[in-house]
Amino acid sequence: MARHLFAHAARALLTLLAVLVLTFALTRIAYRNPAAVLAPRNATQETLDGITRALRLDEPWYLQLWHYLYRGPDVQGAPMGLFHWPPALGYSFRRQQPVTELILSKIPVTLSLALGALVIWMTLSILLGVAAARRPGSWTDRVISTFCSAGLAAPTFVTGILLSYFLYFTLSTYGVRWFPSGGYVGLTEDPVEWARHLALPWLTITIAEIGVFQRVVRANMLDVLGSDYIRTARAKGVSERRIHFDHALRAALNPIITLGGLELAALMGGAIVTEQIFGLDGVGRLAVESALSGDFPVVIGTTILAATFFVISGFVVDVITYLRDPAASR
Amino acid sequence: MSSPPVLEPAGPAGPCDAEDGRRFPALRAILAERSTRFGLVLVGLVVLSALLAPVAAALTGHGPDQQFRAEALTTEGLPVGPNAEFLLGADGNGRDVLVRTLYGARISLLVGIPATTLALVAGTAVGLVAGFFPGAADRVLSFGTDIALSFPFVVTALSLVALNRGADGRPVIDPVLLVILVISLFAWTYFARLTRGLVVVLRNRPFVEAALTIGVSRRRLLVREILPNVLPVVAVYWAVQLPANILAEATLSFLGVGVQAPTASWGNMIAEAQRTSLYQVQPWFLLAPAIAMFVTVLGFNAIGSGIRNVLDPQR
Repeated sequence: MARHLFAHAARALLTLLAVLVLTFALTRIAYRNPAAVLAPRNATQETLDGITRALRLDEPWYLQLWHYLYRGPDVQGAPMGLFHWPPALGYSFRRQQPVTELILSKIPVTLSLALGALVIWMTLSILLGVAAARRPGSWTDRVISTFCSAGLAAPTFVTGILLSYFLYFTLSTYGVRWFPSGGYVGLTEDPVEWARHLALPWLTITIAEIGVFQRVVRANMLDVLGSDYIRTARAKGVSERRIHFDHALRAALNPIITLGGLELAALMGGAIVTEQIFGLDGVGRLAVESALSGDFPVVIGTTILAATFFVISGFVVDVITYLRDPAASR
Repeated sequence: MSSPPVLEPAGPAGPCDAEDGRRFPALRAILAERSTRFGLVLVGLVVLSALLAPVAAALTGHGPDQQFRAEALTTEGLPVGPNAEFLLGADGNGRDVLVRTLYGARISLLVGIPATTLALVAGTAVGLVAGFFPGAADRVLSFGTDIALSFPFVVTALSLVALNRGADGRPVIDPVLLVILVISLFAWTYFARLTRGLVVVLRNRPFVEAALTIGVSRRRLLVREILPNVLPVVAVYWAVQLPANILAEATLSFLGVGVQAPTASWGNMIAEAQRTSLYQVQPWFLLAPAIAMFVTVLGFNAIGSGIRNVLDPQR
């Protein structure tokens, strides 16, 4: 156990380090000649040299890498790198704010969006997957899988816009104001408004995810239902309901947990399209805005954040699968 | 272990078919699948519209980027709905939505096909080496794949596109080319894992041992014996990966970092319809590219599931 987890943790750390080095390489490409970009117009050669020295661009690359890790992807000011304590992600000059602070202020929105959606799509996928697996090829199965493949083929931005068109715009022309057009209300401020504002975004993500998850639940259920121990359970006279939900589902759950964890991590890195459509001021929107305005420290910060979520979730999923069934995960 | 989130096919079913002696029995079985046929019809429609886009432009006399402010906008400046001259109405700039949607099909294929092909070539090369040389080479390449997978697609794509800006603020390389490169930078991992899995199985087959015994060089073995066995399966999965990449282009264009206006892409058309809210008066402005996108992805997905049913029946 400990050995297995240690190996995975070491691998995860190494991956993260590689991500850091790659982002460093990116900034070097970005600031092709940072001194010239930063210097005021008509700057003398002396000023340029001064900036080059201040940015330590005259030093060998491994020292530059160290500065990058220690000071962050910014170019001046206090040390704000990941290897500095407390770890930080640099400073955004455009927004005049530390990147870490900026990202932390957006996390509640993205977290509410991602976690809420996760609960909804997991529940629905499991219910629909089990329902479809009861009698494969039946009418129910076909309707469910048609619905799910449609969800799979519809891009998030199309579903999102159509949902807000029909459920917000069209409804409100009839005077029904169930859903707001967008925006975010904090959970601690008003839980009801919080859920009301997030309902359509949750639905958008659910439609996108359910296509994959329902299919996996169904396939695994069928797999398990065909196995010997289910036949034994049936022979013993265990009720069908218990067989489906107790015996089969439990075994079929592992792949869903793995997939769900990784998908959650991807969303935590920014449910970019959904946030954009519903005007949710989360991490994803921050990333898009920064990329479009050329705010590199923020873009790099969000990239590192997303990669970290991904690597950590891979690790956590591994621990959970291991605890559930030590033999299965070698 | 740390297997990726991709729903990757379990490979080994493929190469056995190629060994049968008959050329492509799997292909015939795939074509007999109902969902493959359904998908082929939809994809055929999309390819046809891409090819016929200039014809539609010539027939209507509306270029894809041409603005008809006098005819296609009302006096309040709102786009007209479908009529005899603008079959699907106009967009906010008085351009023909139908013609632009057809041209959008070209961009989708023009980005999706090269990106997927590039990913296939790179991924297959990596997978061949990783699968054939266990030990250090395999470990290094698999670690590289892990790293590539841990970069979030959209955020990284955003930063790469953001970096594509010279000192004067103009893009350094063509945005379309960049989108192709960015997409293939992520998609290769899928082919690498697939190929590696196939090669690991093949490596232990008698014919490989036999070839090694009679002194065939490893390079020749890899290129002449293993590659031909892997290629049909990989080529089939090219079609499975293509819709994901078409969707990726549309997503980037929707976010404003992909194909740039005025070039028509379904992604940037939908973005424009949403940004201006003009779809509320002219729904086809949004619906035409949205339906096109849906049909394309649905078609390729159907082909993909037909392929999976044959090559990977246990799923």
